[in-house]
Amino acid sequence: MKQIVLKISHDGKDWVVENSLVSMSSPTLEEIDAGIGALLREKGFIGKGEKARVRMEFDSSGIPQWIRQYSHHYFDRIVDIQG
Amino acid sequence: MVQPERKWYSGMLTQEDWWAVWLGVGFFFLSLLNIAGIDLVGWITYPTKWVFNVPEGGKGAISHAFYALGKKYSLTAKDFYKGLGWWSIIWTYVIFTIATCIGAASMKWNVRKFFTGWTIIFFLTIATWFIGHHAFFAANKINMGKYGLNFALSLGGGGSFILALIVGLIIGNFFKGFAEFLSEAAKPEWYIKTAIVTLGVKLGYLPIKLAGMSQKLGKAATGLTFDLFIAGAVATIVAYMVFWPGVYIISRRIFKLPRKTAAVLGSGISICGVSAAVATGGAVRAKPVVSIMVSALVVIWAVIELVILPGFFTHVWPGTKDPLVAGAALGMSVKTDGADAAAGELMDELMRNKIEADTNGAVKWPSGIITSSAVMTKVWIDMFIGIWAFVLAMVWVYSIDRRPGETVPVSEVWHRFPKFVIGYFFTWLFLLALYFGPGQAGAPEAMPFLKSVKAGAVPIEKGMRKLFFMLTFMSLGIITDFKKLREAQFGKMVWVYFVALFLFIIPVALVIAYLFHHGMQIPNIAGYVK
Repeated sequence: MKQIVLKISHDGKDWVVENSLVSMSSPTLEEIDAGIGALLREKGFIGKGEKARVRMEFDSSGIPQWIRQYSHHYFDRIVDIQG
Repeated sequence: MVQPERKWYSGMLTQEDWWAVWLGVGFFFLSLLNIAGIDLVGWITYPTKWVFNVPEGGKGAISHAFYALGKKYSLTAKDFYKGLGWWSIIWTYVIFTIATCIGAASMKWNVRKFFTGWTIIFFLTIATWFIGHHAFFAANKINMGKYGLNFALSLGGGGSFILALIVGLIIGNFFKGFAEFLSEAAKPEWYIKTAIVTLGVKLGYLPIKLAGMSQKLGKAATGLTFDLFIAGAVATIVAYMVFWPGVYIISRRIFKLPRKTAAVLGSGISICGVSAAVATGGAVRAKPVVSIMVSALVVIWAVIELVILPGFFTHVWPGTKDPLVAGAALGMSVKTDGADAAAGELMDELMRNKIEADTNGAVKWPSGIITSSAVMTKVWIDMFIGIWAFVLAMVWVYSIDRRPGETVPVSEVWHRFPKFVIGYFFTWLFLLALYFGPGQAGAPEAMPFLKSVKAGAVPIEKGMRKLFFMLTFMSLGIITDFKKLREAQFGKMVWVYFVALFLFIIPVALVIAYLFHHGMQIPNIAGYVK
């Protein structure tokens, strides 16, 4: 299965998933998961009907500096999608 | 461009946890060169009690208020280190500045801002360390006569800690612009994690130190550290099973908080403060702002506990009858590593002074054991956070908030593992291996070897540890702004915290600590020291 890694962050209102070529934002993770497959197909990362494993790694720079000394890791999530 | 996947070694040069390991273990290895007759750590500075006017035949001259530890402990460079005196402060400043600035640069901080802030914090710390060691604060009724005093506060080194915290809090609450200026270098968690790595040196060195007094004492110390290790683990498991559900229920049933907020608050209050709040927020996929708010509450309440609990546990209950119960209870009650270790160290000083004064010198305890009991429970709690968050994530992802196709990577456990714990156990076990190996468990014929280990270990476990504890107290105060408690958006979270902590967590922590630590004895070294 194809592996794709994206950064995920939260801008105070929406979750944002992106890499240097794609970007998507939405208020809920459900909407992110529902739409990311189509976006990755549109951008040519996966073919129609192709399965892929998307790893979303939380961008630690989104954790305030003063908290990072206590904990630098928020979450990584893995979602299996279909193009 | 394809985003590279986060690897198990990601962060080794950019995270504070790892830099606590590099600093602590780095200087520990430097100290081991004493085995080969090379003393590169004897310059580390340390204060002594002092007075303005030394009585006839007494002690406490200001000229000796700071000295290089190598003056007392070095085997190969004693004369050189003896000559340093107050200049040992400059040596300590220069060398630790180089080390910490390398760390700051590697972690991509603003090095210039860090250097300036570090310099100010370092010398403020030295100043409070000095003032706190005036014999009026530090001496007790046994030794105050040597300094020409009829009364002393018997705080031991604790006076310096309290003063550093007060100075930090004054800056943090009344000079906020200055606090902001210092913020790049006010890093209590980095300093305390480095200090905890050197606490591992302390624990590993303890059998060696006591073996120098008697082989039997050395073996007793080894047994005690293993007992603390096991008791801490068991107490922690019980705490998780009791604390988290209790606080979650209080948050949901009494204060009607939403599920995710209750989960994050539950972890923050019941387990380990900021790191647990962040880990749980991530596990339940809460918006980061929830973890951030809980974390701010945790940090402030932890400092309040640091101020109240050591004195209460020392003078009210359990007191010097059960010092390790008190230490373990602190570990389960105080919710950041910095505040917990700092509280443990403060209580260590208070209790050791109290028992010496109460018994007229018949009982003396080696320093650091009470601190270790506080830290040991915390270390176990820290280690379990990753596992707990993983379990919560699985419950949330596979059951409560099920989303098709999502899985929880096991690597989450490692990414959340507190890396500084590796340094803590590494230094401890390394020294134990030296003690049992070439040290022959303290046999008389191995004493020359053990003395060479001691020459290196003491500047690290005494000088470096205490200095980094002092830096922690000062930095904790600087970053703590009590006004945050009044900010509107916290709302009832402030009261959840108060009710859960003081009416549930702390009383239950004392019971659990009593069940698993009652009766543990600290070796009495009164017959072996002046």
